[in-house]
Amino acid sequence: MRSWLLIGLTVVACSKDKGATSRDGVVEAWKKGGLEPSSLTAAKVDVGSDCASGTVNKLDVLVCTFKTAKEAKEAEDKGLQWVGDNTGASKAQGEMLIVVADRKKVDPHGKVINQVVTLPAK
Amino acid sequence: MKLRWTLLLILACVFVTPASAKKYGRQVRYAGIHPVAKAEGGGICHIEFPHVHIYPANKLEYRVVADNNVFVGDPVAYGWDGPKYAYKGAHPIQVNVLAGTPEPYVHYCYLSGPHYHYFEPEAPGFEVRGDAYFYVGEPPEAMIEARPAYVGINAVYTPLVYTRPVIEVEPPSGWIMVRPGFVVEAPVVVAPAPRAQVVGGVGVSAGVSVHIPVPTVSVGVQVGGPAVIVRERGHGKFKHKKWKRR
Repeated sequence: MRSWLLIGLTVVACSKDKGATSRDGVVEAWKKGGLEPSSLTAAKVDVGSDCASGTVNKLDVLVCTFKTAKEAKEAEDKGLQWVGDNTGASKAQGEMLIVVADRKKVDPHGKVINQVVTLPAK
Repeated sequence: MKLRWTLLLILACVFVTPASAKKYGRQVRYAGIHPVAKAEGGGICHIEFPHVHIYPANKLEYRVVADNNVFVGDPVAYGWDGPKYAYKGAHPIQVNVLAGTPEPYVHYCYLSGPHYHYFEPEAPGFEVRGDAYFYVGEPPEAMIEARPAYVGINAVYTPLVYTRPVIEVEPPSGWIMVRPGFVVEAPVVVAPAPRAQVVGGVGVSAGVSVHIPVPTVSVGVQVGGPAVIVRERGHGKFKHKKWKRR
């Protein structure tokens, strides 16, 4: 009986999504990782209806929340449109979509861009 | 009349793009780490997931997977200091894993000498010797057919000066580089030396391999350029030849 309980708990623990699940959680993950995010303010963009933008270490960021992970994944392409003619990325993380654009060319080797997207997923 | 057709052709070239080419503006899609274009400062882009730049990828060092350019060259040549795995010779690459796409898609690396990748092999058919991966599987037809289009990558890496893996073990039997179609025939150039003769050529190594004969200890030095084997004058055979070339 006890072993079944342990197995059940393990399955529940393993199936739980890792990483940040809210906009605040994303910002917190950036701070914990040593990045310097500005406050995010509501943004009216074509990427999604619930988006906020700001900067992280001089990179432009857009964080959008969707009802489902599928919707967030499908919006990745629209995120790339927001990036425009710049180095950048658009990646879904659960129901969140994180979009980052290096409009000021401050991260030519993508080290910060990599952190902006991977830190909230940890 | 001719002018009209020319104009139509130009318009078609400008406005008709492949249906699969999802791109916005000047964006070029990449997945995983790769070299940064020289014009953008060079070095390595550290973004591990799909992303975009506004510079193009070349055909020899990249494979396109789900619209993303995936780098299949040696990142150490461009300054990569992250995890690296030594390989010797051509081998398959499970490129969909690098692109983060679920559909299995295999392509091939055609670097014939010692080199690094930032990933370990996912496909079967590899043997580890001297901390390096050797592909000993049967080369698929697709690998043989695509070879002429990509084997030019060796000419790209030969002049690059960087620390290549030093692999001085005998390759396992069945290694792909001793199979017909993959053996690299070396044009032999003989240059005199005071006590030794230098034989250079583009061999199975993409780098330079200098072997100093007895009484000194054999040393493997990997820098750019063709394979160089130093041997004593007057002997008919290579002193430190590791395996036969067909």
